[in-house]
Formats: sequence, structure tokens, C-alpha cells
Amino acid sequence: MTSTTITPERVESDAPAATQKGQNVPRKEDRRLVQGEGIFVDDVKRHGMGYIHFVRSPYAHAHITSIDVSKAEELPGVYGTLTGEEVASLTEPFFQLAREPASHLQDYALAVGKVRFVGESIVAVVAETRELARDASELVEIEYDPIAPIVDARMAQGDAPVLHDDAGTNVMWEGSFEWGDLDAAFAEADKIIKIDELHFHRFNSTPLETNGALAEFNRGTGQWTIHCNNQFPGFAAIMMGPALRCGIDKLRFVTQDIGGGFGNKITTHPQLVVCCLLARKLRRPVQWTEWRTDFHMSMSHANERWFLDTEVAVKNDGTLLGFRTKALDDTGAWLRYEPLGCIIWSQVAPGMYRWRNIRVDFTQVATNKAPCSPNRGYSRMQHLWFTERVIDIVAHELDLDPVDVRKLNYVRSDEMPYETPNGCVYDSGDYARMLDLGLELVDYANIDARRADAKARGKLLGLGIGSTLDSGTNNFAQSQLINSDLQFSGNNEVATVKLDIFGEIVVTLGTVPQGQGHETPTSQVVSDILGCSVDDVQVRAGHDSYWNSHAGFSGTYASQFAVTGLGAVKGAADLLAAQIKRLGSAVLGAPIEALELAEGSVRIKDNPEVALPFMACGAIINANNAGLPDDLEDVTLNCRYVYKPPFQVPDLERNFGNLTLTYATQIHVAVIEVDPETGYYDIVDYAAVDDCGKRINPRIVEGQVMGATALALGAATWEIYAYDEDGNLLTPNFYDYHVPHALDMPPLKTADIESPSPFTPLGTKGMGEGGGAGIHAICAAVQDALRGNGDAIVADSHNPYHKVWELLEHPAEAGGHVSVVNA
Amino acid sequence: MNVSGERTFAAPRDAVWKVLNDPASMAKTMPGVQSFDIHDAERWTANVKIPLGLGGLKMQIDMNKTEERAPEFAKLQIKGKGVGAMLNMETSFELSDADGGTAMKWAAEVKLAGPVGSMGQRVLQPIVNQQVEHVLSALDREVQAAVAGGA
Repeated sequence: MTSTTITPERVESDAPAATQKGQNVPRKEDRRLVQGEGIFVDDVKRHGMGYIHFVRSPYAHAHITSIDVSKAEELPGVYGTLTGEEVASLTEPFFQLAREPASHLQDYALAVGKVRFVGESIVAVVAETRELARDASELVEIEYDPIAPIVDARMAQGDAPVLHDDAGTNVMWEGSFEWGDLDAAFAEADKIIKIDELHFHRFNSTPLETNGALAEFNRGTGQWTIHCNNQFPGFAAIMMGPALRCGIDKLRFVTQDIGGGFGNKITTHPQLVVCCLLARKLRRPVQWTEWRTDFHMSMSHANERWFLDTEVAVKNDGTLLGFRTKALDDTGAWLRYEPLGCIIWSQVAPGMYRWRNIRVDFTQVATNKAPCSPNRGYSRMQHLWFTERVIDIVAHELDLDPVDVRKLNYVRSDEMPYETPNGCVYDSGDYARMLDLGLELVDYANIDARRADAKARGKLLGLGIGSTLDSGTNNFAQSQLINSDLQFSGNNEVATVKLDIFGEIVVTLGTVPQGQGHETPTSQVVSDILGCSVDDVQVRAGHDSYWNSHAGFSGTYASQFAVTGLGAVKGAADLLAAQIKRLGSAVLGAPIEALELAEGSVRIKDNPEVALPFMACGAIINANNAGLPDDLEDVTLNCRYVYKPPFQVPDLERNFGNLTLTYATQIHVAVIEVDPETGYYDIVDYAAVDDCGKRINPRIVEGQVMGATALALGAATWEIYAYDEDGNLLTPNFYDYHVPHALDMPPLKTADIESPSPFTPLGTKGMGEGGGAGIHAICAAVQDALRGNGDAIVADSHNPYHKVWELLEHPAEAGGHVSVVNA
Repeated sequence: MNVSGERTFAAPRDAVWKVLNDPASMAKTMPGVQSFDIHDAERWTANVKIPLGLGGLKMQIDMNKTEERAPEFAKLQIKGKGVGAMLNMETSFELSDADGGTAMKWAAEVKLAGPVGSMGQRVLQPIVNQQVEHVLSALDREVQAAVAGGA
């Protein structure tokens, strides 16, 4: 794939915009970022600070028999060390979300007594330079007694060695979900399609900036200040406070610019605890910046998942009646955010289809690999890939067109809002129309002629479709479905908007942006409500838990800023607008109904020259407030709003309820040409169609679409965390783990529709996690290309060129095993 | 990684056996040996610098003979420890009489753990093959020297 990305042309209107929402306002953040003036965590320096280097396990599974740090500590310039034994005495194990027996896991910030994956941190060394800390770490002497590792989830049960003696099993969570009437569905079926095994591989999003922190300890107040790039400080605080035996107000999280998160920067709490302990122990600030190899080896891989013994009940015309499968999830060595992934997939249980009868037996096991945690498309990506794979396999086996099977089974636009069999509510959308748009972009009408043309050139042309339902704005009550003892539910986000003394409009967010561009759509929403320009709105960069008002679920994750973040912004701006009008009413002597906010002032609609500029409003309330009427007592021009989505607690007995508020949609169509001699393929055409409801800033949405497509194509072809039989990670750096760059991207055509969400304040939907569509589009395109050329079934989400060659050469062995039974 | 092979030496079996079980002779056959200590008949240790990819990999090697049937079979457990790498190797060899000398069948299971193990995978196999060839050639020289010395 060596074509240059072609961005679609956009015609900009010269006419003044009626509203800022929906306009391609240039990102306010970009000036500082493109000029190199952004402040990232590694830019933060303190006098006398020490640099941390982690000594990591070379073994996937071993007892630690001894640790000797004396030689490292004797090295001039080394400030000190921290071992697992110290951590175990100074902290509590991290709180576990799992129910028994996995709730007994003793997870500390450093390995204690045993290592469970290659790259697990055992000792932290602090020195006056980063290089010295790294050199000194080589003087730490650790003796191991290796144990047989488990690197294949399918081998984790039975007689397999147990990772966590405290749990006594490698099964971290298991449960059965059944909705509808499976027996009736299979009785009604004409055919039953049986698929032995499908596999979704392990990878993640490799943000440009790795994890890091600078921690300071104030001995007088007992408070830590943690400059970091954690994207969900609310979660980190919940994990770290009890572990460090302190209240969460003693943990001040500060972020500014973050170089990408994708969920991979949620679960840094173990490393942050190490930083805190060392800052206190050594009485100096300490700084940690993760090396790229360390990130690959130890941080937040996406869940690897198997789908075993799948059976699909279908009619001869391709009507899908039901399916049952056994999902086996490999979570790696620790539960750092898991087992939430064991329920989050069910936000999209039927995918985009009208399946009413579903059974999933879900098992999550621990293996000697890096811990899994959220990654763009967390847990739903795996399940949606499965549902899409089923569609194409059904079409393959029944000799039907995958386009027809999709259109026959899609949830229809006139059924929206659509309640799924498990009680989730798809808010809006028109999947069939999106598919038509995608097909049109790749000239589907002439696909047969293109196929023939490719064949004449010795190539195999394939067309594949993939879809993502990007469910956004979590109902955290779904955590109770995996552990009924957990006391989390709903969701919230907060913003403040104030009019300051000189008329400045200042916004603070509870969110923690990592490059999404929150400052810009926030300004657009506020400017529309307050009747001022986007440039008049100052959105404070970054997040500081000391100064930014925040709520329990504050953060930036799970496709929710456009709903929760902007919902809070809208709420606070509405409150401020109302206060400004009340002040204007008193000062201008006009009823509130006669007033409007426009051009940075409150004024009389019918006589705009009678106006009170915002500067005057700010000055009156903040600095010239003697003699104001009593009924303005509560007018502060400093408004805080907490947005709470309208959620209920699900029915825990039936696993039934609405788990998320919005469903953005992405449909991708890929056309590839395969070289039958080598398995190499080119993406010769590619369309991405997006529907995320009302778009506040279409250009930002477009950026997300392109980024998600790059993630997808990387995962489909190159990106994999592959382990050998001993648990060594074979792709620990960008040499072995190829992330697509600009020249790897195909010509990209995009289109969009807008199906406003009826459930959100602005009609918006979160949309940051649409990458799964592309992964499946490539799988389906490969399978299509091989139709009539061995007819291999694509059973894996990862299809590098050599794998495609194997599918061509050995279709029965390398492909999935499928059988069709007449019901 | 499993490697195995067969080699014929133009020497009687006793001579080959003697070299294979003489730590001082074996030290001369190993790549990058910087120091070699004999603790007893079953246990030897060495500091070596193994050529692996860019630069060398310094390791402390601990060798234990775990099984022996003179003059035909021996098995050794070898553990190595270095910065970013842990080596575990089990190797065995079997001698038999052959036309004009002694045939040696040998096999080794090599496990390299740690970051070097991860990053070195793509270069490990050719390097191991190369080093095995060096060892066997050096072994041949030692055997011939022993035969010549004995004669």
C-alpha cells in the first residue's frame, strides 16, 4: 500500500455562520502544538529531581528468590531504589473490580515474590540522570526460579499452572448471557452454520507519547502533586488513594497536553504509586518517562479473544435468527481495569443486526502476557468483529451476497430508537443508507468489471465491508453485572463557565483531552449560547484536579466528550446566560423576555443599541456590586454544571438494561487486490462513512475517522503483540511492530450522514472509537478475493501478507473450519 | 529454539569423549570466553561475551552436567544471566563409533528470555547456527590436538 492519502474536498461557505456549531472552526490548540509550545509530561522539570528506571522481568512466569539492590545504590549519582517488598509494606493491594475468586488478587505496584509477564516491574531505581538510572538498574541482582508460562488462553484451564495462588484459578470471570428464545430460533432455522473457532488478535493503539509522570510530595500537607498524562484521573485516584492509605484529595493530578491516549493511558496507577512512594522516600521530585519498549511489553494491551463453537441459526434467504458462542477472553497477567471488558461487549450484543436470540458464554482467563486494559473500541471491537465475521461467513456458506445479507438484517432507521434483546437502546441511525454511500464511493456498481480487470492483470480483487457501533457514554451500572457488590452507576461530567471582571469568558473542563481538541468545540458551544465569538471563549488547557471542578467519572474515555463534556459545557453556559440576562434586566430596565445575548453583550432585541457589554456585566458583579437588587444575590456569573445522563440500574437477574447512551456508526468498505503468488495485497479503494449525530466541528470528526481507519488498517495487516511459547514478546518496538504511516494509507474517501441523538443535549454522539470497521473490512475483502481461489474462511482478525499466502496455499488448514447443517 | 546436528571426528571415541569432558578443552571451543572456572567435575562457570546482533551480550554462564554415560552420552544444563537476557539451555551429545572415527549426535534446546530475547529473535537463529559451526570446528581442532598430543 503505497498510495497517498487523498482527503475529500470541502467547499467552505463565505457566508457568516448562523451558529458556530457545525462549522470547521480551526482547532484552538493547534497553534501551540504546531509551534512546539505544547507542554507534555516530559517537559515538566523540577530542581533536584530524580529519574526513575524500572527493572523488569525477563521471565514470563517465575518466583523471585532474591533481590539485591546494594550495588545499584552504591553507585555515585543513584538516589535510591524501591522494591516490591517495600511496596507491599507501604501500600495496600489495588482494589479489584472482580468478584470472587479473582477479587483475592494481590496486585501491587511492583512485583512481590513472583513475576507474571515479561516486562513486569520488579524494582525502581532513581538517579540523577535517566541514563544513570538505566545503567544502575543493571546492577540490581535478582534471582528467579522459572515456572512454565501460559501464553495461550485456550490452555489456561485444567492442569495449567496457576498465575495467582490467591485466586486458585486462572479464570478471572465467567458468566452466561442469554436473551430471547434460542431453542425456538434454532427450531425455526433452515440452516445452522457452525464455526469452530474465530480469533481476535492482541494489539493496541501505541500513542505517540508514552506514559509518564513527575511526582512531588509535600511533607507539610501530606499531599502528592502528580504531573502526568493519565487520561482518567478519577479512576486513578480511586485506585491509588486506598493503596497509598490516603484520601483522594491528597492526590493532585495535573495534565496539560497529552500525546494520545486511546484508553492505553487509563491504567498507569501502579507506576504512579511507585512515583509517589519514591518522591516521599527520597524527599525529592521524581520523574518517570516510559521507554517505547517498556510500553509495548507492559502497558494496556487490547483484549485478545476467541470465539469457540459458534452456531448461527439462519433462514435460507439469509435472515439471521440467533447465535450462540463461547467467548474466551485473554486478559493477560493482571486485572487492571478488567473484568469490565466481560460486560462492555454487550453494549453491542447483536451488532447492527436484528438478532433477537443470543447466547454468549463468556470466560476471561489470566495468561503470562501484559495486562489488558481499555484500547480504542474497548471490548466492543472484538465482539463487533465477531458479528461482522458471522455475516460474511453466513453469506459465504449460503452463497449469498454479503451486501444483501447485511441489508436484510440491519436494524432499520424506522425502528430507531431500537431496543436490543438485552435492553440497550440504539438511539438513531440509518445503516443501510450508510452502506449505500460507502458502496457508491468505491463504485460497487462496476465491481464485476473491476474484478475482471484485476484478474486480467493476475490479481484477485476482493471487496469487504466492516461496521462499528461506537457506543458512547457508559452507564457505569454495567459494572454491577460483573460484580453485584460494586456501587457504581450512571455517569457524570462537569464544566464551569464564568464571566470574569474584564468580561473574559473562562471555561474549565472536567475532561482530560489527549489531542481530541476539546478547547475548540467547547468554544463553539459556548459562543452560540452566549452570543460571542469563538475567540472570546477561553478554555483552560489541560486538567488540574485542584482547580478544575470535576466529578466522579471525569476524564476522557469511552466516546463521551461530545455528550458528557459538551453536555456539561452547555449546562454551565445556559446557567451563565440566564444570570447575564437577569443582570441585564435589572440594569437595562427591561423584562428578560425582551433581551438577547449577541455580539458580546446583553441587549434589547428590538433596540440593539441599548446594550450592556459583557465587560460591564463582569465588572458590576465582581468589582462594583454595592446596591444591587436583592434578587440578584445569587448571580455570581460563575456557573458550574454537572451533566448526568438519564440512566437506570439494569436488571441484574436478566442482564438487561441500557448500558450506554449513544451509538455512533461507522461503515467502511475496502477494495483490495491480492497477488496470488505472494499473498501481498494493495488496498486500491477505501471508503469510510460516519454517522455521529450532530457534528459540532466536522473537521475534528474527519480527523477521528482518518485516525481510526489508520488504527484499523495497522491492526488488520501489521500490528500484533505476538509472543513466543516462552512468553517473550516478539514485537516490543516499532521495528517489529509496524504502525502505518502516511505512505501506508490507501486513497481514503469519506462521507457522512447526521442522525441526531434524541437522548443528548446537543444531538451529538461520541465517536472516537470507530476503528473496528476497517479491521473487518480487510478480513472480508481477503475472504472475498479468495472466493473461487481456495475459498478459505478468514478466521483471524490479523491478516498479514504471509497469512494470506497460507490461506491461498492451504485454505483448509490455515482458514476457519465451518460446516452447514440442515435444521 | 531447538537445534541439533551430527558431526564425525577422525579420532577414536575415547579421545573425543575426553575432550568433551575436559573443561579446559571445552573452554577453548566456546565463543567469547573471557574467564572460565572449574568448580568440580560436574560444574563449571564462565564469563562470556556472546556476539548477538549489535555488539556483544555479556553473560555469566553456569554449566552443570546432569547426566553421563561414559563414553557415549552426556547431558548438560546451562544457565546464563546477563543484562536484559536470561539463557536457559539443555544440551546433550551421543557418541558412537563410525567409519574412520567417531560420530557425534548432538541436540540443544535454547531459551533466551528478557528484552534481548524479544528483540534478538530475528537474528538469533543465524547467529546460533554460525556459533554452532564455530564450536564444532574448534572442537575438531581440540580433538585433533588431543590425538596428536596423545600420539
